[in-house]
Amino acid sequence: MSTPLSIGTVDDIEEGEAKVIPGDENGTGNDIAIFHAEDGNFYALDDTCTHEDASLADGWIEGTEVECPVHSAKFCLKAGTALCMPATIAARTHKVEVNGEELLLHPNVDAIA
Amino acid sequence: MSTADNCPSADSCSTQPEANASIGRMNRPEELNRNMDVSTFVDSNGGLIDRAIYNEPAIYAQEQRRIFARSWLFLAHTSQFKKPGDFFTTFMGEDPIIVTMDKTKKIRAYLNSCRHRGVRLCRADAGATKMFTCSYHGWSFDLAGALKTVPNEKAYPEDFDKNKWSLIEVPNVQEYKGLIFGNWDHEAEPLEEALGDMRYYMDAMLDRDPEGTEVMGGVMKWELDGNWKLAAEQFATDWYHVNMSHASALMVLSPTGKGPKPEIAATPGRQFVSENGHGAGFPTHPKSRFDARPVHEYYDYEMLRERLGDAAVEGPMTTGHATVFPNFSYLPVNGSIRVWHPKGPNKIEVWAWVLVDKSMPDDVKDAQRLYNLRTFGPSGIFEADDGENWSEIQAISGGFVTNRVPLNFQMGIGSEREDGVYPGKTSELYSDAAGRAFYKHWAKIMNTPAWHERNK
Repeated sequence: MSTPLSIGTVDDIEEGEAKVIPGDENGTGNDIAIFHAEDGNFYALDDTCTHEDASLADGWIEGTEVECPVHSAKFCLKAGTALCMPATIAARTHKVEVNGEELLLHPNVDAIA
Repeated sequence: MSTADNCPSADSCSTQPEANASIGRMNRPEELNRNMDVSTFVDSNGGLIDRAIYNEPAIYAQEQRRIFARSWLFLAHTSQFKKPGDFFTTFMGEDPIIVTMDKTKKIRAYLNSCRHRGVRLCRADAGATKMFTCSYHGWSFDLAGALKTVPNEKAYPEDFDKNKWSLIEVPNVQEYKGLIFGNWDHEAEPLEEALGDMRYYMDAMLDRDPEGTEVMGGVMKWELDGNWKLAAEQFATDWYHVNMSHASALMVLSPTGKGPKPEIAATPGRQFVSENGHGAGFPTHPKSRFDARPVHEYYDYEMLRERLGDAAVEGPMTTGHATVFPNFSYLPVNGSIRVWHPKGPNKIEVWAWVLVDKSMPDDVKDAQRLYNLRTFGPSGIFEADDGENWSEIQAISGGFVTNRVPLNFQMGIGSEREDGVYPGKTSELYSDAAGRAFYKHWAKIMNTPAWHERNK
């Protein structure tokens, strides 16, 4: 199990918004998007859409899903599942932990163990 | 076609590609764009117009090339764009256009047609987006018009270069006091110069409030049978029709209910005549005005006199009419700004906005909006009168004998002069002077090759 990464506080990301932790900072080499979903929870997926080169953090968050801003593929924020065409491959999830006000990211640790 | 064909020279492409080098890149037979000499259709000195200019398809096609592809055309109002990604879709002539605010907050305009198979890229009237993605195969363009993703890109040839397939951008977008205009000619005379003295008359509507103007709500759109010039010309030059066409509306609006007094029905006034084809007319009788009472009570006329000058308050700020050549018109009294979109020689699509001063309290803005709708909305008591006349003219224009009989534009011939009060040349309020100038300019640029014909 990797060491969690402190990525700021819960106030840094408004509900319905997302922010990107670049690949060189999170250690995985791939950008990770942290989403503040409409259920109040925080989720993390690989930022690049599995269909084409697009940033999911730029997408539209609805409930606990994110819609890619480019071709409208949807992903489950909890499990990463591709929910509709044109995406067919799941997005990689990463565990996010809320410790008081602090947001902790566990890169490469599946959100649902 | 290899990518080398895109570039005048390899060097110029690797550094700064020519703006819209793709337009007209493939050669066409000259027969396709054959231009005719239109000078005999317009006798601007004698005040005669040949009716063929309203319904002849070849003339309409030439207008697309030589009027709409090279004139300053109204696109939108700056208040329609607040943050990056806000967009509005419209037309320049028959060309579909996306107007949007890019990430640097610059307003840009693009041809609304995917570079791949040509589908209209954005089909919404207005909204906010991050990318413009084609619904056909999914080519996706960012707010700067750059092609960002091509599904299955690996199947394209190795020399396929996304940089060469950006959206076609309108190279010239300029603003005058909140009004955004676009021009396909990147060497066009700057907007403010093309407007010239017309700016003084526009300021009487656009510059009353130090905060400027904004548009309220959406755009009202309706279709009329008729040629776009019938509407544009009337707003440039025609106060003459008011007492006849709008007789019933004048009865309803007169404070006594008995109709306007003789001195108001025969109001004095001036008509601005621009050699660039613009026109504006306005009464100068202090009681010839039809403004909404809450708006009239809101204005501080002393302040306006200081800001705009006495002549502007007593003239173009009243019940005027105006056209910026070719197809943008407005009415200062109720803030109606509109575009006459050409949809074939026989059809106009009217797009009308409600313009108000930013500083107006909400109840005054609302009063202006309702007044605008009642008078010049799609079923307004004035608007419906005008559309009916234009459609009637068009409906019979196909008759062979009818079409050969010239129309009369002789009112006020020789009356154009500098009167020492109003900028530029003006004629009487009741005059066809701006109409003659509108068609003179029309004929001039119809007979002048445009940017896309140069060096060929």
